[in-house]
Amino acid sequence: MKMNLKDFIKDKMLLSCLLLFGVLTIEIFLLAYPFGTFIKVYIPVIIILLYITGISIEYFTKKRFYKGLESTLNELDDKYLINEIIKEPNFMEGKILKSTLEQTDKSMLEHVNQYKQKQENYKEYIELWIHEVKIPIAASKLIIENNKNQITKSIDEELTKIEDYTEQALYYARSSTVEKDYYIKKIVLKDVVNESIKRNKNVLIHNRASVHTHDLELEVNTDSKWIVFILNQLIGNSIKYKKQDENLVMELYAKQGKENVVLYMKDNGIGIKQDEAAKVFEKGFTGTNGRLIGKKSTGIGLYLCENLCNKLGIRIELNSVQNEGCEVCLVFPKSSFTDI
Amino acid sequence: MKKILIIEDDEKLRTELAIFLNNNGYKAECLECFNNTIEDILRMYPDLILLDINLPGVDGEYICKKIRKESDMGIIIVTSRDNELDELVSINYGADHYITKPFNIHILLAKINSLLRRACNNDTKDKINVKDFILNMSNCTITKDDKTIDLTRNEYKILKYLIENRGKIVSREDMMDCLWESESFIDDNTLSVNITRLRTKLEELGLQDLIETKRGQGYILKGENEDEFKGFYKR
Repeated sequence: MKMNLKDFIKDKMLLSCLLLFGVLTIEIFLLAYPFGTFIKVYIPVIIILLYITGISIEYFTKKRFYKGLESTLNELDDKYLINEIIKEPNFMEGKILKSTLEQTDKSMLEHVNQYKQKQENYKEYIELWIHEVKIPIAASKLIIENNKNQITKSIDEELTKIEDYTEQALYYARSSTVEKDYYIKKIVLKDVVNESIKRNKNVLIHNRASVHTHDLELEVNTDSKWIVFILNQLIGNSIKYKKQDENLVMELYAKQGKENVVLYMKDNGIGIKQDEAAKVFEKGFTGTNGRLIGKKSTGIGLYLCENLCNKLGIRIELNSVQNEGCEVCLVFPKSSFTDI
Repeated sequence: MKKILIIEDDEKLRTELAIFLNNNGYKAECLECFNNTIEDILRMYPDLILLDINLPGVDGEYICKKIRKESDMGIIIVTSRDNELDELVSINYGADHYITKPFNIHILLAKINSLLRRACNNDTKDKINVKDFILNMSNCTITKDDKTIDLTRNEYKILKYLIENRGKIVSREDMMDCLWESESFIDDNTLSVNITRLRTKLEELGLQDLIETKRGQGYILKGENEDEFKGFYKR
């Protein structure tokens, strides 16, 4: 809502009418008595002029304040901080406005903090829970290691799935809180890629996939655990959306750019429809593929990946042609921000 | 044989860990009571301890510090916390390695192996003597009667795996698993090709029947007699 002349005049309408009435009354009196023409004209004119001056000053003072308010509001991203920035106005309505804003801001802040705290508590609980559940998973995997056979191998696959889902839950909980749970250090892409492939080796071998890696000796500055998690999600997707009648072929390699290092992950799966490609990173997006193959998709995986990449300053892109596979790029910037 | 002491409060985990380590050539023991951990460790004097940092009522990091002060034994900290800062602190306290649960058991084994080899000051054996031929680990070659043939990385890994599992039939899946663990991500066809090539090379050395195919089960190194594999590398 902007301040404009029309509204201002409308507000002053009552006062102006009363003044006009008053001036008219005075004029009638003046006309009834033998005053000089000069007085008969001078007095009403002075009164009206003084009045106009008065409301003009008021108009311009207020206009300046509200214009400043409007432009500051437009520039601010966090608009709720407006009250901290504007100067104390010197007219009553302005003062009342500022004081009211102060109180509403405080109340809303308390309200928001309650939710922040709740979320923080929940995240802590999830982290605790995940650490607890890791113990029986580790024990189970060890038991399987000591008693390897077809049955236990099959159970091992399922256990790995459980591990993957708990990890996804952990990163989801971390991604939505404000604190930075990451630890940036120099890593070699080859190490994280190999770790991720080995993590998925059972299901990859089972699906007769072949994986080619090359040119991964490049270094980047990032959190290795988060990258391994992201790669796990991407590899999982490649496996899920591979062609039924063709063996999965994956290629992972990296290229050094001028300002960045790019990690490429290509597969020969069923690909993604052109019009859906832009939406894959949206939360809950399952797309035609997700429903076609009959594989239940939570729609969280890629959303989480993009979220985490944003936190780490990495750009993630997906290129695909339907039936010709998918290519995902992770672009690691080389900037002074991330250099250690 | 090297002695490893497992300090972990989850009973199943420590039992299975002990079984696994015993199966892999170590003598593994577990602590069941944690009232006198430091005294117990020093009394038993293992070559390496697997220490869980989250022991109830006990400060794992304090133990680490104390043990490191008194001895040179290998210390690997095992925990379900994955905070990087904990790793730094633990290393500062004298731990040699830090590994989080659930851990890749092969990585843990590799760390134990490397730690104990180093501590023992034994040079890693770089030759495996098998029957009448030698597998050279340092340059991936195989030598028989003065003739040496180069092996590719994959061929070398396949042969080594067969030798390590001598007397047992090795399934293709297990072989693939082993290769992938060492970062050769080959597929089924490539495995077949590699084995064929390996056999061709072995033929040049007169070892054409060394690798026997057991239909439907896998492969086995011919000469299942344990005695024939004496001189095998010992930890």
